[in-house]
Amino acid sequence: MMKQNDAAFSAEHRQYIARLNRSRRGIKLARWLILIVFIALWELFARVGIIDPFIGSSPVRVAETIARLYSGGELFLHIGITLYETVLGFVLGTAAGTLIAVALWWSPALNRVLDPYLVVLNALPKIALGPILIVWFGAGITSIIVMALLISFVVTIMSVLAGFNEITGEKQLLMKTLGASKLQIFTMVVLPASLPTIMNALKISVGMSWVGVIVGEYLVSKAGLGYLIVYGGQVFKLDLVMASIVVLCLLAALMYYGVAYMEKKLVKWRMHGG
Amino acid sequence: MNGDNAYIVEFNGVSLNYHDAQGETPAIRGLDFGVKKGEFVSIVGPSGCGKTSVLSIAAGIAVPSGGSVRIEGGRPGYMLQQDHLLDWRTVEGNILLGLEVQGNLNEESRSYALELLKTYGLGEFAGKYPSQLSGGMRQKVALIRTLATRPELLLLDEPFSALDFQTRLMLCDEMHDILKREGKTVILVTHDISEAISMGDRVLVFSARPTGVKAEHIIDLSGKSPLERRNAANFKDYFNAIWGELDHDEAK
Repeated sequence: MMKQNDAAFSAEHRQYIARLNRSRRGIKLARWLILIVFIALWELFARVGIIDPFIGSSPVRVAETIARLYSGGELFLHIGITLYETVLGFVLGTAAGTLIAVALWWSPALNRVLDPYLVVLNALPKIALGPILIVWFGAGITSIIVMALLISFVVTIMSVLAGFNEITGEKQLLMKTLGASKLQIFTMVVLPASLPTIMNALKISVGMSWVGVIVGEYLVSKAGLGYLIVYGGQVFKLDLVMASIVVLCLLAALMYYGVAYMEKKLVKWRMHGG
Repeated sequence: MNGDNAYIVEFNGVSLNYHDAQGETPAIRGLDFGVKKGEFVSIVGPSGCGKTSVLSIAAGIAVPSGGSVRIEGGRPGYMLQQDHLLDWRTVEGNILLGLEVQGNLNEESRSYALELLKTYGLGEFAGKYPSQLSGGMRQKVALIRTLATRPELLLLDEPFSALDFQTRLMLCDEMHDILKREGKTVILVTHDISEAISMGDRVLVFSARPTGVKAEHIIDLSGKSPLERRNAANFKDYFNAIWGELDHDEAK
């Protein structure tokens, strides 16, 4: 499309741009509105007694609970532990999963041998392994990290391998005609070409790591957001449960955007350095 | 062009079988042909007759089941139907791919590749990405990527068939000109008879599977470029002769 300055746009085009901007603003507004209306109604219902605040909590009570946790110095302790477990589980799980995906791409025979095991491992709810992990790794942080690792590990293998295998045989044929070794084919074509798929896999496994950590904390922890949720539920402090979930929401979203940001950087790097 | 009469490609009694769980399919049987230095040979044949396998064998990617193959002048350059440019590399990065793979990337080879790009009218696009180029330009970049490693022999596997008709005719002309000027020896595989006649010094007609050379035509047409040659009076005679020789019932 040719570049034109504003004055050169036809009235029709200006209208089109205006419509575009209006619809963008409308969507943003609707998003915030949902959140605000939800919080407002929740608070209102709690105050007039439609919701029992003892069971349903309320936004103000949630905020108060978070403030109390903060001033007691507990908030960042719990966040820190949960974050530590999640990040470690995620990094280890995706790193190991990617390595295994590379090995399976490298050797189609190995891939075929291990395929049924992968299918079963993928179908198995990893949570079922919880008791075994506790016996093996102790009732502590290690078990939780291993749980997060396990959950993101299998997903990573499956989706990264699918990404590698998506790269057409023809591109590999081209590399072969140029005399490329398998390692060159992998590093120069397959890996950079499947980078977007790998990043999508990471986005999925971030979520999976959170599942693993929270479940792990339900089972064995003495601290962390999952612990707060379980503890709050047991002693019937729904304020504490809701507050922990709100914090969890924020953290999970933050980590997701962190990975998305990393993706942007990597794709850019690929364009210039690759 | 053919000052030197020595064959730089020789296929002697080459055969190739495809294997799968259902059995064995003979794809090539008793294939004999040679290509002289600087010659442009077109191969036409019905679809699925194993033309591409002939190129794979010449490129050293496939191993024949029998017979002997002799290729001179180092690793042949290979061009596919799709350009397969790497979209995260600039045009420059793409044309240097072969040199990088072969560990021959240095100042001299790099400037040779960039010089090719300039000579053939794409110099200003060196810093652009493939997504910013038209289909015809992309295929030209793919050709320069192939030429950058200075192969003596070029193997073209239907390099125009993914392009629209107009681009195709123009690129035919341009690539023919480039290949002749660079003094390359070329084997072009195509299903397009007109393309084969207009570009080739010689056309080999392959039979249906198991394939072999069914007929051979030395093309003598007035005019230099493929477009001019398409207008030559005897162009139609070649076309009709080859059309008659093709095994049509095998074509799908």
